[in-house]
Amino acid sequence: MTKIETTLPTLLSDIEAFYKPKEWHFLSVNGIDLGEGKIELQWIFSKYGVKDEVVIYYALSDYETPIPSVLALIPSSIMGEREIVDMFGLTVEGAQKGLYLDEDSLQHPLRGEE
Amino acid sequence: MKKTIQIPLGSQHISLLEPIRFKFECENERIIGVDADVGFVHRGVELACTRSFEFKQVGYVVARVCGLCAITHSLSYTLAVEKLLGYVANDRIKYLRMLMVELDRIHSHMLCLAHTAENAGFEALFMQIMGDRELVMEVQEAISGNRVQFDYISIGGVNRDLTSDLCDLIRKNLTILSEKMEILTGLFDNNWSLSLKYKGVGVLSLEDAYTYNALGPLARASGLATDVRAETSDFPYEALGYTMILESTGDIHARNFVRLREIVNSITMCQNIVDNLPIGEIQEKVKGKPKGEDIIRIEAPRGELFYLVRGNGTNMLERVRIKTPTFSGIPAMMEVFKGSQYADAPAILASFDPCMSCTAK
Repeated sequence: MTKIETTLPTLLSDIEAFYKPKEWHFLSVNGIDLGEGKIELQWIFSKYGVKDEVVIYYALSDYETPIPSVLALIPSSIMGEREIVDMFGLTVEGAQKGLYLDEDSLQHPLRGEE
Repeated sequence: MKKTIQIPLGSQHISLLEPIRFKFECENERIIGVDADVGFVHRGVELACTRSFEFKQVGYVVARVCGLCAITHSLSYTLAVEKLLGYVANDRIKYLRMLMVELDRIHSHMLCLAHTAENAGFEALFMQIMGDRELVMEVQEAISGNRVQFDYISIGGVNRDLTSDLCDLIRKNLTILSEKMEILTGLFDNNWSLSLKYKGVGVLSLEDAYTYNALGPLARASGLATDVRAETSDFPYEALGYTMILESTGDIHARNFVRLREIVNSITMCQNIVDNLPIGEIQEKVKGKPKGEDIIRIEAPRGELFYLVRGNGTNMLERVRIKTPTFSGIPAMMEVFKGSQYADAPAILASFDPCMSCTAK
């Protein structure tokens, strides 16, 4: 597993330069609460036909900053992006709330206890 | 501009096996757009894994994500934690774990085949496959004590050993199942009404499989050569007879055939495991508390199951990320619906073998 740091402003250009649909399989978008209002966001890829090759692009952010969507580069990212909107209460460009949670559900359950 | 109508399907519907709601936009009988709501059985498993249970209990919690592939969930989590603890299982434990995962694949694929037969109106075939599936269910129950949600795998090993009687039962049942698979394969290949319902229906092209990151049997039926068993080195799959099964037409027929041929391959692997079971302990002491971050990928019956676990050296984990195959496969599935006939939607959906319990977790 290789982790590569990126930033939200450079995320799209980094992913665009890296991601080749016939070479890399996009696994998921992930979020990890770091406490004190911070979050680590991850975009995870594995290589077709190669053993144990997984690359994780990660960026550190807070909960207020809007997250750019990689949907135009990776159409299958829609599920993961909608999931982090619900689970962490993030704003991801173009991703709707409500994949899992209703209006009256516990909101952003995976965000750290405040 | 042609007139379009919206037709809802689900969340409760006689042709649906799982709680999912589709909103099809149709032009006459042709689907031109689709929207899906998948969150009906969300249970907050990821939250529970970090707030309510200690890391030694989480393996049994994640087994509740899905009844069908419970063994794959608990194996993925357990392997991720074992990696963080610096533990590598001995060969006997690896073989026993592989055995249960492959048995799980066989019965899950058979369930899917039964449902696709049912959706083609072939209820006798549905009953026949479900009857044959009992051969595997009997073996799984004998090994683990349960028919579903097995709780067989634990950190540092497995909870039950194989006795010689159990090995005999596995050999006997899998030999019978092999013979039955030949009959089933012939039926799926040659039956005229099944061909009408399956061939050329619900096609996912290879190009779309790449674009939408299809995975598991859905991808392999379109010719996309991806299988976690060939892309990870946690288990010696190749040494036990693993072969990647590929088809090329990408339709329901191809998806059925990937599953039929994978069942045959998994039977071979299980027989090889039982015949070459290494000597060793089935449970070893693993000390410490997980610290750091690691990932595990396992080929579940529906495709790649991904776990990311992060620990901080205490009994409570910081993050357990579960990415299930159906969750990732939904964009590709939605693409297949577009252009298909509305009447084919239930059969197409059954051929995806969707698991909403996994998806919503």
